Amino acid sequence: MTFFLQQCLIGLTNGALVALVALGYTMVYGIIRLINFAHGDLIMLGACLALTVVSALGMAGWTGAATWFGVALLVILCGLFCGGLNVAVDRIVYRPLRTAPKLAPLVSAIGVSFIFMNIGLFWLGPADRSFPELLPATNLLAGEGLQFTAKDLLVIVVVVPLMIALSVLVKSTRLGKAMRAVSQDPTAAALVGIDVDRVIAATFFVGGFLGGAASVIYGLYINTIGFQMGFQNGLYAFTAAVLGGIGSIPGAVVGGLVIGLVRALSSAYVGERWTGAIVFAILIVILVFRPEGLLGRGTKEKV
Amino acid sequence: MAMNARSWAVWLAVGMAVATGCRPADPTLVKIVSSLPRTGSAKQQSDTIVRGIRMAIEEADGKVGPFRIEYLDLDDSTAAAGQWTSEAEAANARRALQDPDVMAYIGTFNSGAAKVSMPILNLGDLLMVSPANTAVGLTKPGLGAPGEPEVYRPTGRFNYARVVPADDLQGPLSADWAKKRGVNRVYILDDNEVYGKGIADLFDERCRELGIEVVGHDSIDAKAQEFKSLMASVKAARPDLVYFGGTTQTKGGQLAKDMASAGIGALFMVPDGCREQVFIDSAGAANLEGRCFVTFGGLPPEKLTGKGQTFVDRYRTKFGELPEAYAVYGYEATCVALQAIREVGVKDRRAITDRALAIRGFDGALGRWGFDANGDTTMRTLTVSVVKGGKFEFEEILDAAEEAATP
Amino acid sequence: MSPVPARPSDAIEAVSPRDRLFAFVRERWDFVALIALAVAPLVVPALGGALGGQVTTLFVYCILALGLNVMVGYTGLVHLGIAAFFGIGAYLFAILTVPMYPFQMRFVTAAAVSALATAGIGLALGAPTLRLRGDYLAIVTLGFGEVVKVTLRNLEQITGGMKGLNPVPPPGAGLKIGDTDLGLAFAIDPRWFYYLALLTLAGVVIAMRRLENSRLGRAWVAVREDELAAEAMGVSATRVKLSAFAMSSAVAGLAGCLYAASLSTTADPNAYDFNRSIMVLCAVILGGLGSIPGTLLGVALLVGFDTVLAPWADSAIQEWNINPTGSSLLSFSGWRLAIFGLALILVMRYRPEGLVPSRRMAAELHEAHP
Repeated sequence: MTFFLQQCLIGLTNGALVALVALGYTMVYGIIRLINFAHGDLIMLGACLALTVVSALGMAGWTGAATWFGVALLVILCGLFCGGLNVAVDRIVYRPLRTAPKLAPLVSAIGVSFIFMNIGLFWLGPADRSFPELLPATNLLAGEGLQFTAKDLLVIVVVVPLMIALSVLVKSTRLGKAMRAVSQDPTAAALVGIDVDRVIAATFFVGGFLGGAASVIYGLYINTIGFQMGFQNGLYAFTAAVLGGIGSIPGAVVGGLVIGLVRALSSAYVGERWTGAIVFAILIVILVFRPEGLLGRGTKEKV
Repeated sequence: MAMNARSWAVWLAVGMAVATGCRPADPTLVKIVSSLPRTGSAKQQSDTIVRGIRMAIEEADGKVGPFRIEYLDLDDSTAAAGQWTSEAEAANARRALQDPDVMAYIGTFNSGAAKVSMPILNLGDLLMVSPANTAVGLTKPGLGAPGEPEVYRPTGRFNYARVVPADDLQGPLSADWAKKRGVNRVYILDDNEVYGKGIADLFDERCRELGIEVVGHDSIDAKAQEFKSLMASVKAARPDLVYFGGTTQTKGGQLAKDMASAGIGALFMVPDGCREQVFIDSAGAANLEGRCFVTFGGLPPEKLTGKGQTFVDRYRTKFGELPEAYAVYGYEATCVALQAIREVGVKDRRAITDRALAIRGFDGALGRWGFDANGDTTMRTLTVSVVKGGKFEFEEILDAAEEAATP
Repeated sequence: MSPVPARPSDAIEAVSPRDRLFAFVRERWDFVALIALAVAPLVVPALGGALGGQVTTLFVYCILALGLNVMVGYTGLVHLGIAAFFGIGAYLFAILTVPMYPFQMRFVTAAAVSALATAGIGLALGAPTLRLRGDYLAIVTLGFGEVVKVTLRNLEQITGGMKGLNPVPPPGAGLKIGDTDLGLAFAIDPRWFYYLALLTLAGVVIAMRRLENSRLGRAWVAVREDELAAEAMGVSATRVKLSAFAMSSAVAGLAGCLYAASLSTTADPNAYDFNRSIMVLCAVILGGLGSIPGTLLGVALLVGFDTVLAPWADSAIQEWNINPTGSSLLSFSGWRLAIFGLALILVMRYRPEGLVPSRRMAAELHEAHP
């Protein structure tokens, strides 16, 4: 029983991280119907920056409150970096393609992903790099017989408030309302006076910011970054977004948690080597029976 | 516009195709080719091997017999894959075959890559000496998959040799060592590749023979980013030792990290594919401290004596650091090839290959050794090192004869 | 914008021989290319060696890309997992021919069975998923690609795991022409595989041409341009899409058979991963969606870049000692990803119909920006 609980704990923690990344995908898709293939690699670049900052400031030697302060600083710094980069890419690459057929921005996103990967290759080198351990390794749940350290707690501590903040942003602020409007119908939104390009840029920024936060968590939780990490993580996160219903924010969260649990439990009970196949097989099955995803709304195509 | 772009592209493609085709033989030139993974995380290790090869050529003053030597450093990996690929390796082998000046092929590093190029080079009787392949099926009949090693020799003639002992030594001796160490329960992981799975299976078999309980044996996905849930499963099985058959490139370091995160106190044992500084760096020195043991077919660089020590000293003077484990094997492989070319004296691939494979009693950096009938080295030393203070520290030598004697 | 009025003298002006030649080449490019490629091994000696093997692989990729073109180019369905069908074709072919298994079929039989079976698997995947919206279908094909890769790797008893299945016997093993053993000829001289691959490619191109102009081909394009309108006109979109999927899978499977035969091994499952799918997709898109010459040119450029330009540039850099430390920044292949990415972005921005577009696609993609 403890074994099962332990795997669930791992699955949910992992899933929370996946959900955070999935939110980035879902936001961009929701607003301009673009599968942002470059999001995973954007996060990789954020992790590169995080590693550089951590090494430059010698954060591995910090202790106590200074560490937590340092982590917060990293999250904000990388968030801003990734958000800004995302906005820049939108402006340069995707904005001229607003009226182009769907294939164009999709393929351009693949192109951006390649460019990001190359930057990462130059930044990190061809081998994976170790992210230093910043957090204490004490087991917080040793009494229950489970393994749950400060690293795992960090994931929850960062992801949950960010998700809440995002919901608040989308539901209760003017910008959020504008985002929902543009998502529903960009022409109508423009007609009521919303600056569509700026709202889209803002969405890219928010998606990128979440990605930047995810990159810091990734570095601190997994402790390894490499120039190819974007693809694998992007794949799972993107699957989570689609699973939950792409375009739906709660869907991305649910999708992420489901993917995390499936990975942990399939690794534990079926075998580590089948995990990849099982995750995608489940995705295919769910899409076949519920094409709009778990929480998505079916869109009617108008003639 | 379309006509220009199209015709330009077509002429470029045709031009390149034609240009690569024309190459006449040069009677005063002998080329040595190496095929190693030069991109990705194996680069650090292959850098030292290439240096060893270059040092061997330099020592010979760039000349062998009446010929001058040219060295080509080929890459069997691609930037996209980050590791060796069948296509790149096949292309390297064909390129070496096609160039009439090439007389020796130093490669490969990964056993899986050797399987691709061995049959190709065999058709051309080109001498292939590997500094690092350890999978048993490449040379030893009856030990590998059915049909090995004959499938790698379509002409029936021999052209492949290796200067490093194979895994039929490393796998079982590791199990013997574990038994001696008092290990009763072992969890085995492998990277599902030719080398990693091969040695893990050999280790598994010997453990069962010795009465060590194998509480689990699973293959990992070398592309996965983390192994937390796998480590939770491993922890639940309470092993004394976790064995990983694989290399640094197939996530050996990440496994060690996740093992430490999961709070597993067991020992961690890895084969020679992890015997490089990159492995320690990628795992985090603290995670390996005192509990990670690495086996290696041969003596580590700091323990070499005689010509080997001279090599290490010269390497250190030239490059300012100790060579990685395989550098001296690259050096030795090249020395052997050069000796064969020197003795034959003409550019006859068949004669050079036969001469090389007939070498017995070669006095080299690795000691006094020769090739046996299968193309394996007669050296049978295995060493175990432990990771201490972020570096490999020699622990003990395992002698095959000695281990067989102890019950 | 009024068209430029034609000069009356155009009709009676004599056309110079040079212009006539260019016009002939442009119109019958396929014929010219086929003759040139058929004659090449007699003129270029390198094709009897390493280059021959590389060009054979190029032909195989061309066939694969033509298969993908059916889905992405003609029918407009984004397919991110074509490499999976490539791999399935290769492995099925290997299972039907390697000595390990009792089948040991001849080349043609094995290739036919394998291609048909791959088409069947394509149908099985397509039937429940083709009603999904374009983006979702892309994800399903992507996921399927991963599932296939992992399955091929793990079912070691059947597929040989990471070792792959080998040796795949060459075509015609045991058949004798005169007193040369055909199988041995294939194994030793790469020109045999060259001609086999060229022949197959020519056959596929001819078949694609026929399909383009057939009812089915036009139905594909109709579904691509406007699915609802097509349905309203009586074209069953689902059936049309399924047929595209099946045809695409069959051609990819056929390419897989040739690949396994020419390499004499299936290679490891990692050769059939997302990277491969993306490369083929890039080739089709860069060359020209829905255009046969465009697809072929795209493949030639991409493969030529990877296997000819990049190694040559790297060797040149090594020889001229520009990069003594071996840093990625100064090596040519270190920039490969960025070059590809930039090419994709630029093409999508300025010439989304590709280098050698089909006229219909060019008109379609430029109607918003005249």
